[in-house]
Amino acid sequence: MFLAILAGFLLAFAAPMLYRWLGKWVYVPMALLPLSIFIYLLTLAPAVLGGNNLGEVQQWAPSLNVNLHFFLDGLSLLFALLITGFGTLIMIYAGGYLKGHPLLGRFYLYLTLFMTAMLGLVLAGNIISLFIFWELTSISSYLLIGFGHDKETSRSSALQALLVTGLGGLALMAGLILVGMAGETYTLSELLERGHVVTQHALYLPALVLILLGAFTKSAQFPFHFWLPNAMAAPTPVSAYLHSATMVKAGVYLLARLTPVMGGTDEWQYTLMLIGGVTTILGALLATQHVDLKAILAYTTISALGLLVTMTGIGTAPALEAMVVFLLAHALYKGTFFLVAGNVDHATGTRDLTQLTGLSGSMRFTAIAALLAGMSMAGLLPFFGFIGKELVYEATLEESPFRWMLFAVSFFSGMVFVAVAIAIGYGVFWRRAVKATPLQHPDKAMLYLPPVILASTGLVFGLLPGFFVTPLLRRAAEAMLGVEQVFELALWHGFNLVLGLSLLTVALGYVVYRFSNRLLSYANRFNGIYRLGPANLYQLSLKGFLAGATKITAAIQNGYLRSYIAAIITAHIALIVLSLWKDGPRLELTNRLQELSQLRMYEVVLLLMIVPALIFLFKSRSRLTSIAVMGIIGYSMALFYILFGAPDVAATQLLIETLTVVIFVLILHKLPAFRYLSHASERYKYVLLSLAFGAMMTYVILIVKQYPLDSQLKAYYGENSYLLGQGRNIVNVILVDFRALDTLGEIVVLAVAAIGILAMLKLRMQKGDKP
Amino acid sequence: MKTVILAVAIRILIPIFIIFSVYTLFRGHNHPGGGFIGGLIGAIAFVFHTMTHGPQQTVDTFLKINLYGYPRQPNQSRSLYLMRMMRVNVWRRRKMAYHPEIKERMIRVEPIYIIATGLLLAAGSGVVGLVFGQPFMHAYWADFYIPIIGKPGTPILFDIGVYLLVIGVVLKITFVMSEE
Repeated sequence: MFLAILAGFLLAFAAPMLYRWLGKWVYVPMALLPLSIFIYLLTLAPAVLGGNNLGEVQQWAPSLNVNLHFFLDGLSLLFALLITGFGTLIMIYAGGYLKGHPLLGRFYLYLTLFMTAMLGLVLAGNIISLFIFWELTSISSYLLIGFGHDKETSRSSALQALLVTGLGGLALMAGLILVGMAGETYTLSELLERGHVVTQHALYLPALVLILLGAFTKSAQFPFHFWLPNAMAAPTPVSAYLHSATMVKAGVYLLARLTPVMGGTDEWQYTLMLIGGVTTILGALLATQHVDLKAILAYTTISALGLLVTMTGIGTAPALEAMVVFLLAHALYKGTFFLVAGNVDHATGTRDLTQLTGLSGSMRFTAIAALLAGMSMAGLLPFFGFIGKELVYEATLEESPFRWMLFAVSFFSGMVFVAVAIAIGYGVFWRRAVKATPLQHPDKAMLYLPPVILASTGLVFGLLPGFFVTPLLRRAAEAMLGVEQVFELALWHGFNLVLGLSLLTVALGYVVYRFSNRLLSYANRFNGIYRLGPANLYQLSLKGFLAGATKITAAIQNGYLRSYIAAIITAHIALIVLSLWKDGPRLELTNRLQELSQLRMYEVVLLLMIVPALIFLFKSRSRLTSIAVMGIIGYSMALFYILFGAPDVAATQLLIETLTVVIFVLILHKLPAFRYLSHASERYKYVLLSLAFGAMMTYVILIVKQYPLDSQLKAYYGENSYLLGQGRNIVNVILVDFRALDTLGEIVVLAVAAIGILAMLKLRMQKGDKP
Repeated sequence: MKTVILAVAIRILIPIFIIFSVYTLFRGHNHPGGGFIGGLIGAIAFVFHTMTHGPQQTVDTFLKINLYGYPRQPNQSRSLYLMRMMRVNVWRRRKMAYHPEIKERMIRVEPIYIIATGLLLAAGSGVVGLVFGQPFMHAYWADFYIPIIGKPGTPILFDIGVYLLVIGVVLKITFVMSEE
């Protein structure tokens, strides 16, 4: 499994190069990768279906207890097969959809990166590595949505998706760490057995809130649903793959994965049922308000995701079974529909439902795929969607205090699904039309084969539910429930209440379809509500955030060097005075005063040089004098160093002073006239600050000298510098040998500073340039 | 700044400065000195040169290598060509500058290259330890002794890196500031 992930990443970054070599045939290796992983997973399937969970560990950061731990059980296998199987078709489809696009290589890079990240996410056996793959999917989704980066809407949609899912990702990280703390392990397989510990723990509630935030943002649940329809700015293969079949289901996967760990409590159940239910209704309602094919599909996806979350929330055995079945069915028919919508868009140049009619003649195979997918979505008899719908109804009708509400939610969404299925599967293609929409190019095999394969898979699964699907889904449901399950999928359940309800759904759905024009005409009336909706709140908060950041930056980074230095020194003084005030030792001055009598003559002379120089500096009105006086002070300091026996430091100080003066002289005539730009009182403020700083440093040094220096460092370096460091100059041996890493850091800083100076002085911005 | 005395003096002083800076660099291990101080001394020589002659002159004099050459003739053997190139660039440089067929190619040593070389040497001296399975920055010393330089070892290499980096940084700052 590790190799599969690694191969994915390698191939992803090789994609642009492959495109240069292979041209339009680049899709072949890109599709072969998911295909081979798919086959590899199929070889593992018998073991998993036999009830053995497979694990694999690669050391990553063992000291942090974070390992690349892979874990394959029924649930992971279901998702992994979905990702790779669908991935293969999408890779082929994308090759046809973006044929001749100059950035196709980059597109494959992003898409493969996403696929690998998603695969890693579902195979991860450690919740920290799960989180890392989770974030990778967010990032690759951002890149994919923003693929058409020359368009403003693409960019803003991509950013929106990244911000919303990234925010959720942050919450998720905190939540997962809390869960790890509560369960005292980050390994998934161990965590799965400690559910009762986690749910009893004091950290359970905060962890739950944070994790749900992560899952809801990813799976576009209300009130974070708004990013998903905007994400349709991405090329259609991306919408089909990420935003209907895989990535948005990552949130659902996470909820399903953590059901044994965190599920079963009232908080879990009610939150999921409430949010899921609201999302289901909202998505279904909004789907009827649009005419853009992809927007309709996006909203029905939101609705379906809501239904999946609701099912997870109910948490009973039939509900979780219904969840996995519906998940698979939804991926199959919704993916097909997205691909069909992409075909139609590609061939006719429009996605407007009202302008598309009678395409069955010109796009025969696409039309067949759409019809098959539509029948599955509507829940008609021999299709897999029918089984899903039946199970959902059965699950909601179980004995529970909310059964009628839950049923109403699923019934309503079912009705809208039927209407949408008829509108797209039948209305666009097969309805008799006076004049069919003209095509810009005929249907291409690379574009119609993937949806046909997907849609017929839905039919095959429906006709032969017992063949491979039942054991797989049973294991998937087991992974959530934690106990052995026996359930058989069957197409025909006999004449019962659920069948009647199914028929009623179809009938009412047809009615909704007939009146869809009427429904559309209400769309404008909701504008008032949209203004208060979360999408608008997002815009407002983003604007407010940017404005606030601008203000804070302008206040803190005002561009005056003196205010930065003043801030640093003030903070320094404040911190030291505070700590000295609280528990610092007191200074005993009385017996220290005698030391003044030991003052040597040279020291007095140097003092007499420095103090008048300083006073002169304040009064100076010429830059040249200031520089010269600064030089005097600096050289006097160097003499002090010599007096106290530090020749290395003294030499450095002397040279640096020389350089400073010389460089000042070099640029002297380029500087503006030397003027006092600040008011006199302003200047005294800085004088006071310097005095305070000097006084504080003196005080600190006096206190330090008050105590005997009890350190073995000096002795150690003195002894070892010649024996170990082979040098008699201790200072230098420390610099280049004992503490060479520090020196390395310092010289790196020096080099970076030189580059920074270059950037500041050379790349001067023109007025009006953007920073 | 045109002062004749300094301008003449600095041309004589530069070699002394550089020799002294290198001496300080190698002396550093046993006596006051070292890469940082040596680098500063070396840089000051160039800074004074820039001050009196201008940055362009400094670059032309010290940081540019002129290579002379001409394209290889089709029937000329490769080794003969290489020999002639060497001769052109080593023994007969002065004459070749005015030769009509010979083209001039300049390699300009940017201060940033000096910085990069210094950083590479300093970091590379630490990698030696890694190669032999010791921690990063582990010191290795040779057994013999070279006059003036002293015992060669990886810390000396590190110090040379510091020396080059300091020269590069000061030169870069000086050039950038005085060029505008």
